[in-house]
Amino acid sequence: MLSFLNIVIVGLLLGGIYGLVSMGLNLIFGVIRIVNFSQGELVMLGMYGAYLSWFFLGLDPYLSSIIVVPLLFLLGVVLQRFILQPLQNEPFMQIFATFGLLMFFQNLVLAITGGTGYSVRSAASSAVITMGEINVSLPRLIVLIAVIVVALGLNWFVTHTMPGKAVRAVTQDRRSARLMGINVELAFMLTFGAGAALAGLAGVMLAPIYTLSPQIGGNFILAAFAVVVLGGLGSVWGAFFGGFIIGLVEAFAGYYFDPALKHAIWFLIFIIVLIVRPGGLFGIAGAEEMGLREQD
Amino acid sequence: MSKIDQQEAGAPAAPGRSSPHVTRLRTELGRIAAIAAVFGAAITFWQGDPFILNIMAYTFLFGALASSWNIIGGFGGQFSLGHGVFFAIGGYTTANLYFHWQISPWLSLIPAMILAMLVAVLVSWPTFRLKGPFFAIATLALNEVALVLANYFDTLTGGPRGMMLPFNAGLANMVFTSRLPYAVLMLGFLIVCLVVGAMVLRSRLGYYLQAVHIDEDAARAAGIDVLRVKLSGMAVSAALTGIGGSLFAMYLRFVDPPTLLSIQDIGVKFLLIALIGGVGTLYGPLAGALLIIPLEFHLRATLGGMLPGANLLILGALLVIFSLFMRRGVVGAGQALWARYRRTKNE
Repeated sequence: MLSFLNIVIVGLLLGGIYGLVSMGLNLIFGVIRIVNFSQGELVMLGMYGAYLSWFFLGLDPYLSSIIVVPLLFLLGVVLQRFILQPLQNEPFMQIFATFGLLMFFQNLVLAITGGTGYSVRSAASSAVITMGEINVSLPRLIVLIAVIVVALGLNWFVTHTMPGKAVRAVTQDRRSARLMGINVELAFMLTFGAGAALAGLAGVMLAPIYTLSPQIGGNFILAAFAVVVLGGLGSVWGAFFGGFIIGLVEAFAGYYFDPALKHAIWFLIFIIVLIVRPGGLFGIAGAEEMGLREQD
Repeated sequence: MSKIDQQEAGAPAAPGRSSPHVTRLRTELGRIAAIAAVFGAAITFWQGDPFILNIMAYTFLFGALASSWNIIGGFGGQFSLGHGVFFAIGGYTTANLYFHWQISPWLSLIPAMILAMLVAVLVSWPTFRLKGPFFAIATLALNEVALVLANYFDTLTGGPRGMMLPFNAGLANMVFTSRLPYAVLMLGFLIVCLVVGAMVLRSRLGYYLQAVHIDEDAARAAGIDVLRVKLSGMAVSAALTGIGGSLFAMYLRFVDPPTLLSIQDIGVKFLLIALIGGVGTLYGPLAGALLIIPLEFHLRATLGGMLPGANLLILGALLVIFSLFMRRGVVGAGQALWARYRRTKNE
């Protein structure tokens, strides 16, 4: 029973990580209908941003989010304006371009660091909270809290603010939104910026947990795709619960089958969901084809 | 997405639109023979230089593999990121049969081809329901599953340590002491892929694939069995990719999961080469390989020591630049220039 509870805790904490990483991807995916293959690399840049602020400014990694998050927002705006906007109605070229960005960022960092692994220390790094027989490391708990806060905040933003409503209008029907006077291009730039900023936030939050390497984005991107597809495109709560589902599946598969095969197992689930219900558990059926419909 | 947009995105030129006449298969075969002659002459010219021969072998092999990918990816518009799986199946089949039972790689090309084809049809059956980016994600995930499985089932693959194939030089073993026969072998494979590509392009299957690419719903409405057409295209493409994997395994005499299943070095390389050359054109992938492979060797030789990953860094940048400004690759850009030249001459 104890081990069962332990696995659930491990799964939930892991789910928090996956959910946090998926928030930005889901926002971009849901609103702009762009599959951003380079999202994991944006997370990776966020992690290195935390490292740099820690190394040069002595900032605690969690504090460095005040620098890293706005910078990644700017990067996201620039990427959307100059690379993805010209490719708006070209899904195939978007695949090429965002994959190109993935290779570019990953190997840029590899070339600069020479492949040395770095780690960031936070005051919270080694803190462990003990509840009865169960130990929870504080950084992982912070991630779990962060994903709840982000999900609540994002949900409030899209339902209660005018820019959020504009984003939802653009998601539902670009042409009508434009007719209502919404600047679609601006909405896209802000959305991509926000998606990148969320990736940056995820990176900062994960920096104390992982050893930094240029390839680390690859650990997250497929998990994030799985979460987004499982939870449902463009659904904030879809990404939230999808993260926990994937995290729990990974924890249980790792314990009851073989840790080496856990990835294969959730990839299979991912592929099955993609085929049986491409709209995701929380998504609207057929939403996955919106991006291929003629919209401008 | 409008049809015109798709055409710019590398859709094959619709008859009567950007290409006023459709070349006949016999003409294409003539052109391929000319290409074979030129490359054959190049091999003879540099026959004493192992460094150049190595680059040529890689160029021909990856030109051939990009051409194979192009059959389903370019003609059919199904952007698979999972062709590394079929490549690895070919590589592991040949490596295992040679390593454990000393079966000649020439013979094992047949099971390699059939296995790759079978797996391709089995995994594509469900995934072909997905469109555009979703198909790309699913195939990317397949590649990752294959990587996990290849690391796990070490009795079949040697696991992360890989399999070293014994050096028993001889034509029957497809193991040679010099690089010259390998360059010739890869050229032969390239020619096979180009001929198959030309035959597909000028067959009913090719026209169906192009119809599915340009507008799937319209193709279905016109009575085309879309799934069957996609599966046939995928089968041909995967079979050739499997052969490529076998040849690659025998060239390196070593197989391990990252060599065969690396997404950046293998799976995406095929479409990168095709994009830079010209997706959906018969000779585009070859043109892409002629540019990319020597460039990569050059970058690795000059920058590799100082800046690890510099070659992939530049390839990534090229991928972004080409998707923004040269969607139809160098072949497409060449065609556009040629068309403009003819127009100004006629005026």
